Amino acid sequence: METLKEILAPDFLLRNSVYTSVLIGFACPLVGVFLVLRRLVFMGVALPQISSTGVAVALSVPMWLGAKPDHAEHSEHLIAFAGSMFFSLAAIFLLALAERRGRGLPEGRLGTAYVVASAASILLLAKNRYAEVGWLDLLKGEIITIDNYDLGLTAVTFAVVLTLLVLFHKEFLFVSFDRAMAATLGKNVLLWDILIYLLIGATVSISVLSVGPLISFGFLLIPALTAHLFARNMKWFFILASVIGGAVAFFGFWLAYQWDWPVGPTDVVLLGVVYLLAAVVKSFWRWFVHPK
Amino acid sequence: MPDNIITLDRLAIGYDGQAVLSGISLAVARGSFTAILGANGTGKSTLLKTLLGLQPPVSGEIKFPSPTNAKPIFGYVPQAIQFDPLYPLTGFDVALMGTYGRVGAMTFPSHAEKEFVHECLTATAADGFAKKKFSQLSGGQKQRVLIARALATKPDILVLDEPTAGVDVTATQALLEFISQIHVERKFTVLLVTHDLPLVKKHAQQIIWLHNGQVLHGSVAELFTPERRAEIFEMEIS
Repeated sequence: METLKEILAPDFLLRNSVYTSVLIGFACPLVGVFLVLRRLVFMGVALPQISSTGVAVALSVPMWLGAKPDHAEHSEHLIAFAGSMFFSLAAIFLLALAERRGRGLPEGRLGTAYVVASAASILLLAKNRYAEVGWLDLLKGEIITIDNYDLGLTAVTFAVVLTLLVLFHKEFLFVSFDRAMAATLGKNVLLWDILIYLLIGATVSISVLSVGPLISFGFLLIPALTAHLFARNMKWFFILASVIGGAVAFFGFWLAYQWDWPVGPTDVVLLGVVYLLAAVVKSFWRWFVHPK
Repeated sequence: MPDNIITLDRLAIGYDGQAVLSGISLAVARGSFTAILGANGTGKSTLLKTLLGLQPPVSGEIKFPSPTNAKPIFGYVPQAIQFDPLYPLTGFDVALMGTYGRVGAMTFPSHAEKEFVHECLTATAADGFAKKKFSQLSGGQKQRVLIARALATKPDILVLDEPTAGVDVTATQALLEFISQIHVERKFTVLLVTHDLPLVKKHAQQIIWLHNGQVLHGSVAELFTPERRAEIFEMEIS
């Protein structure tokens, strides 16, 4: 309990990391719900990895141009965000376009994108002499080095994403559930698809910058999959997924701080444990309490 | 002058510029009950998608004659089996989508719209299971919810794409009776894609029959002569 009090104290040294972690925990599952419903789980795996390759490319550009890396102020973080966002959106649009054409094997495309992005990140790191200066940590998602600016950028991005999700929830759901009906009622299905992919891209990009691809993937999908076991309607699906994500992010940080574990992997393992327990409870409920 | 709601003029339909059916010229009368018949692969779904504006015609024109020249509102009832069971939506949530054509972005359906949806669910005898998950309903129950959704659009034309697919015989009979009843009561134009010839004969007034790349259009009496019926049965068996 002493650790918990320490974490909750306003002058806690790593408070920005706690806030960022919880923000990601709350926000990622909200867009993750749409990845699950649209059966784009593999995109949830590939996208953070591609996004992190975007970070690597963006931060390698100055080196390729012969310029010294600028670690001052927040230019490095902004460049990384731009690269992450560009790669995320480019990947989303290319993959969505291929899906729309309905040819080939979607899983094959996503698997290839994932493995090529992973390999490209390693190659870029291997050839960048500035890697050790600091952005290797950024790429891995070093959650303990988050300053006020990074926290602000994360909070603003998620506030925008959340606002748009609430405002256009009805349209996003309609075009996801029944595209044909939406089109016959005059909805611009392509426009709504683009907007939802933009929100997914922005969320993935900002979370990859803060916590890295592995943890982003965990928060995108596992809370949504867990919530789906119990959700009776869409409203509770969103609320439950977000609450699970936020709560696990907080308790994961607490555990990691208490036992001196790395925060990101602790969060993901905890998400996995919660999913497993939820599945057991659901099965128990179905078999013994309310058998059909 | 007959009052037509849809006129097809030398229409060719297909995919990627390749026509599946061409030279389609016919008119659908306002308030009529028209069945679209044909074996699998004859272009029924393609014709329906083209009429609904979901895919462009290869050539020719689709006109919607009206004083305002406005496109009519289609109350589209797709096959219930096509919906992903992953969505935790209740029957009411699905039916409410019928109002989304009128409710703009950044606004939510009003209390009056929700009341209207309840009325639609009652009209289709779906109010009893509207609170249940859509994915857990039977085939016939899903179709009633989908018809309620189509009614909630306040449609000019009710378009049903094989609504009895995956529905048992008793429910099929009840469903077609119900569609026929609301057609009479609400004076909708009904376009029904189906394989069910006896039910077509009983309920439809006009038939669009797709067969061997040809489109025949006429009344039930014209197209259901013994010779034509033999031809249809042969088509269905083959």
